[in-house]
Amino acid sequence: MTPSSIRRPSLQRRLVLLAAVWSVVILAVSGLLQIALFRQASIMRFDDDLRGDAQSLFTYTTVDPQGQVYAPPMTDPGAQAAYSGDYWEIAEPAPGRLHALVRSRSLWDSELSGPPEGAKGLQVHPGEAGMVFYDTVGPQHEPLRASAMLTYLPGRATPVIFMTAEDVTPVLTSSNLFTVETVIGLIVLGAGLILLVFIQVRVGLGPLFALQKEVADVRVGKADRVVGDYPSELEPLAAELNALVAHDREVVERQRTHVGNLAHALKTPLSVMLAEAERDPGPLADTVERQAEAMRDHVDHHLRRARAAARSQAPRERTAVAPVLEELSHALERIFRDQAVTIDWRCPETLFFQGERQDLLEMLGNVLENACKFSKRRVRADAEATTPGRLVVVVEDDGPGLPGEQRAEVFKRGERLDETAPGTGLGLSIVEELARAYGGAATLGDSSLGGLRVTLDLPRAES
Amino acid sequence: MRILLAEDDPDLSRQLKQALADADYAVDHAPDGEEAHFLGDTEPYDAVILDLGLPKIDGVSVLERWRRDGKQIPVLILTARGAWSEKVAGFDAGADDYLTKPFHTEELLARLRALLRRSAGHAAATLSCGGLRLDPRAARASVNGEPLRLTSLEYRLLHYLMMHQGRVISRTELVEHLYDQDFDRDSNTIEVFVGRVRKKIGAERIETVRGLGYRLIPLEGEAAETA
Repeated sequence: MTPSSIRRPSLQRRLVLLAAVWSVVILAVSGLLQIALFRQASIMRFDDDLRGDAQSLFTYTTVDPQGQVYAPPMTDPGAQAAYSGDYWEIAEPAPGRLHALVRSRSLWDSELSGPPEGAKGLQVHPGEAGMVFYDTVGPQHEPLRASAMLTYLPGRATPVIFMTAEDVTPVLTSSNLFTVETVIGLIVLGAGLILLVFIQVRVGLGPLFALQKEVADVRVGKADRVVGDYPSELEPLAAELNALVAHDREVVERQRTHVGNLAHALKTPLSVMLAEAERDPGPLADTVERQAEAMRDHVDHHLRRARAAARSQAPRERTAVAPVLEELSHALERIFRDQAVTIDWRCPETLFFQGERQDLLEMLGNVLENACKFSKRRVRADAEATTPGRLVVVVEDDGPGLPGEQRAEVFKRGERLDETAPGTGLGLSIVEELARAYGGAATLGDSSLGGLRVTLDLPRAES
Repeated sequence: MRILLAEDDPDLSRQLKQALADADYAVDHAPDGEEAHFLGDTEPYDAVILDLGLPKIDGVSVLERWRRDGKQIPVLILTARGAWSEKVAGFDAGADDYLTKPFHTEELLARLRALLRRSAGHAAATLSCGGLRLDPRAARASVNGEPLRLTSLEYRLLHYLMMHQGRVISRTELVEHLYDQDFDRDSNTIEVFVGRVRKKIGAERIETVRGLGYRLIPLEGEAAETA
């Protein structure tokens, strides 16, 4: 993963975040609007009641010939009990303040505060049309909603102000309750929306995830190419991927062919030099022979490195182990026919090596050949899965075995332990190099058959 | 002894021809696959030294054609690449031995001698059972002309069954004849090898007789054919 792809959020996250942001904004705005409208409606209903109270107070208020104002005997019990929250007052404007003429018993000896603008505001529109509503505080410090109107009473020259007020707490409480309910409802709705968006994105991007899985399968060698049926937007991408995979394979194959051709081109002349030197023994022949063999070792070494480079670009192969063991046993039993070597191999059919067939052939071929070389007549190979993702192949022979101090030497390049056995002695060092290139290991031990036991630990592919 | 040398490099060919002639072999040289195939097809050679990297037709294909036509000449292959994938392909095609270039001429001559000695060994009649054939001399078997690839234990199993075809052979008997003294005599492993052989020759050819053992039978319609 490159640093830029770590910073960049996934498509899924972008889509879900974007949808979440706009749904939260829309839900918040509509929620605030609802709450405001509810509050407004409740206050309007409350004001209507205040207006009704003021009207009935006005209707039944009388004035005696001395201009004294008499309020009707109020039937509303709320206005009788002290500090009940239900108040009225008839006042006359005095300079700077209002002077109470009559007031409800509930006010006891306190007075209602007038509208914030004072009597002057009311004088612009006398009568019911000019009624104003305002928030104030009652004698018990309770929140009040009050109405006030300035009017003239028949038989009185100066105007009076009718004020009614009521404790607004119940309205505030129900409004707060509504707010809480609305917020909870909207949060639930928002969560539901985001969940739906998430599902929509998962389903909508489904083909992308399928493609991702297929590409992963191709990478580990479970599939040859991308085969799924994709929507028109992804189809070209799938086709491009397949072309890329094919091209990659071709490049690796070409490289391998080049490498093989190079070997062929160099080794035949080396054979010629060796044969020529053998025909005419002498100091020059000895030099030629030594140098030709050194050149062959160099060629082998560099060929292996070239192959390893090709391999690191194409880690997607997987190889069944059983057929490889079978082919090698068949070939080696023929090669060692004179010694009548029998290779007894066991391997589950479903065991797969995560890597190239050529490399598995190379490793097992060299280990088995080595075992055949030193065995009396019997070689055993057991392959099995160990932990997830790993497998081991154990190759044993009934030969003389190898003393501990010589084992470390086996894996050194070009080291040859027993000059009497045919071969270059390179065999096991190649095995070790290859196994390590695959993140595995080759280890030596004692076999119950009496000879050497070579254990190869290698990556395993899912069957 | 007459040898066919199929090698495209003129210098190496000249040297090998000389060395072979010095060792008293009669040598024919083919510089490409086409000529090698033609010569091997028409002339009675005792052995072939076959380079795998031949022009026109590669060595593996030449060998495959000979084996398909039923030619059992011993063949020593020369490979330059030395990779096991190439060696295995060569043995799959029917090679008897291999040598990796560059090699010492002495080693080539030693291998050739071993090859000739083996092929001259006691001749035994070819066994057959329906379309199944087994040549004990070359240690090769085929089904309907298609060469079979058998490992040593599988070959021994098939050989024994063919020698006693039609007869029910118990597992114990098979174990005794397949393994030598040193092997763990576990009769269960016989099933593994019978399974592998069945897969290669067709499951119906080896009949399981419950409680008794196995029997090799020709397929229906094949019975008339005999060796």
